[in-house]
Amino acid sequence: MNTTTVLLIIHGLLAVALLGAVTHQAVSVWAPARKPAGSFIGRVRSVPGTSYGDAVVVLYVLTFALGAIIYADYRIEVRTVVEQLGLWSQNGAFELKEHFAAVGLGLLPVYWYYWRQPLAPEHARTRAAFTTMLAFIVWWNFLVGHVLNNIRGFGS
Amino acid sequence: MTPSSRFPVFAIVFGIVFAVVYVISVDRNYALFTYHPAINAFGAGVQEGKDGPAMYWYGWLATSGIIAFVAGALASFLPGSLTRRLWAGWAWVVAVIVMAAFAWLLRNYFLR
Repeated sequence: MNTTTVLLIIHGLLAVALLGAVTHQAVSVWAPARKPAGSFIGRVRSVPGTSYGDAVVVLYVLTFALGAIIYADYRIEVRTVVEQLGLWSQNGAFELKEHFAAVGLGLLPVYWYYWRQPLAPEHARTRAAFTTMLAFIVWWNFLVGHVLNNIRGFGS
Repeated sequence: MTPSSRFPVFAIVFGIVFAVVYVISVDRNYALFTYHPAINAFGAGVQEGKDGPAMYWYGWLATSGIIAFVAGALASFLPGSLTRRLWAGWAWVVAVIVMAAFAWLLRNYFLR
């Protein structure tokens, strides 16, 4: 197993953690539990979104950084093959992934500011909007990365 | 950690400018530098590929990051009377518009 494969696996694991954190936060802002939760879904909804703000920022930066490192190998070893196979929509989806990831990176400072403690009640909608944006970006990037890896994973 | 009272202005302006400059950088290819992955080398500005493809993404990020940082820093020193009404939502509204712009710019990948 080469270094890129190891980094890709770590990138994927960090992405799973990020996906969980930002999804928990998104659910907590859009469908908060009003009473003590008994069910699994209820407990998902009842988590305090505040506790995920710092984690989302750190995980996003780490996932982004590792993605940026392995991107060079992807460009040579994977994209070339995807183009030769004529998989244009998959290639386009990955292009969107890289651009969405960059846009999300630029939002992190303002996202972090509005999720810091103590939360300002008047900015609840702002927080919800930023969390939704990041959740969309993270889900898109996770799914596209997974699909591209299934087409031609590193080391294949 | 308690951020400075100037930080929200910096963060909002940074988010807006980063997204706008990034999409312009991609569309016009204003990469600060080029990376040549086949030979593991960097070159200043926009260059043709050497022994393989050229990668501009890192250069677009650098262009956008530097300009957004400078814009955010300058905005944070504006008087409070000018920045008080700056709506934080512009950061995500602009980001949504920029993401839609990318979907439009890349539409040919999905329409072949």
